[in-house]
Amino acid sequence: MAGNMQSIKRRMKSIESTKKITKAMQLVATSKLRKTRNQLDQLKPYYSGVQETVASILKSNEGKIDNAYLKANKEGQDVYIVITSSLGLCGGYNANVFKKVDGLINEGDFIYTIGTKGAGFFNHRNIEFNNEYLDLNSTLDFKDIIRLVGEITNKYRNKEIKSIKIVYTEFVNNLTFTPRVVTLLPVNVDDFKDIDITNKYTIFEPNENEVLNSLIPMYLQSVIYGYLVESVTSENASRRTSMENATDNAEELLDNLLLKYNQARQTAITNEVSEIVAGANAQ
Amino acid sequence: MKNFKLKIVTPKGIYKETEIEILNIRTTAGQMGILASHLPLASGLEISEMNYVENGERKHFSIAGGFVYVGENETTLIVNAIESPEEIDLSRAEEAKKRAEKRLSQKSNIDIARAEIALKRALTRINVKGM
Repeated sequence: MAGNMQSIKRRMKSIESTKKITKAMQLVATSKLRKTRNQLDQLKPYYSGVQETVASILKSNEGKIDNAYLKANKEGQDVYIVITSSLGLCGGYNANVFKKVDGLINEGDFIYTIGTKGAGFFNHRNIEFNNEYLDLNSTLDFKDIIRLVGEITNKYRNKEIKSIKIVYTEFVNNLTFTPRVVTLLPVNVDDFKDIDITNKYTIFEPNENEVLNSLIPMYLQSVIYGYLVESVTSENASRRTSMENATDNAEELLDNLLLKYNQARQTAITNEVSEIVAGANAQ
Repeated sequence: MKNFKLKIVTPKGIYKETEIEILNIRTTAGQMGILASHLPLASGLEISEMNYVENGERKHFSIAGGFVYVGENETTLIVNAIESPEEIDLSRAEEAKKRAEKRLSQKSNIDIARAEIALKRALTRINVKGM
């Protein structure tokens, strides 16, 4: 009996320490989630400012602008930017992204991965990828985004690549996140149809085409940065939920084990008492 | 003099919202001064020095490229980075300048365009710091 009690005690101890870890990770994820959500809110004015201006240019010149970013290239590679996490224990966050990517990306496509989990996935599948921007999901450095956008827009203008798509995880609410694929280039004019513009008679200095040339890279920067921050928010939310579940499960296990332990202890005491009583009766 | 609203937006959030008399910027098409009641206008901004007059006082900033949109009653500057002279780290800017010059002198690199932009940014910062 004593052996049984000891093994229950040992299990309880190990579960206790695991619970401490999951609890700590849950708290860390919660505070990180708050931080990234703030960042997402701060980006809003920048993003909507750029988007509104792009919309007003496209609307006031419907179909008349002959800009390289609006035209589809016929040749070249498809480029994908895939955002995953660098750390594990975040539920189905990465698996969902990979499910989306599977069957979408073919041999010959070029990939920028953000997050080491994505690098592992493409390594395993022998798909070529660029790993210069792996840490972007932890640094969230806007300078790197500028560099990345400069690289891909150059390639696009030189007609080396056909399209640029991004795979990210949309943050719906604290419990729901859905992986999505969005085409960044060529710019889809229909995306801007629903945006209200205040001024129809804007002067574009020196002309619409030039303005678009400097504005579209900025638009891409803000969109990619926005999607990146959104994905990191989803990652933290996902980690928080899964760690919360793990902590709850640990608590439940502990309760059950404590009950078992007390039962075993009571059995041992009863046994001892009955032995003493039996011994006293025998005298 | 009539004032108008200026809003400066960066990826890190709204940098400043204020009422000013005149805004001087350098767009891709050249130097430009904007006063109140300007017609709606949109243009790209160079990596350059920017200044405006607020309460009769001229204030200088360095900007790392961006975009200006003049609306009916509000002007918005969308910039990648903006610093006032107090915020500029001179030693860092000088280091960046040296680094960029070194890269440009080697010439073997394909990153000449990038080094040129970095040099321009550093020079602008040093220039604004001295104002």
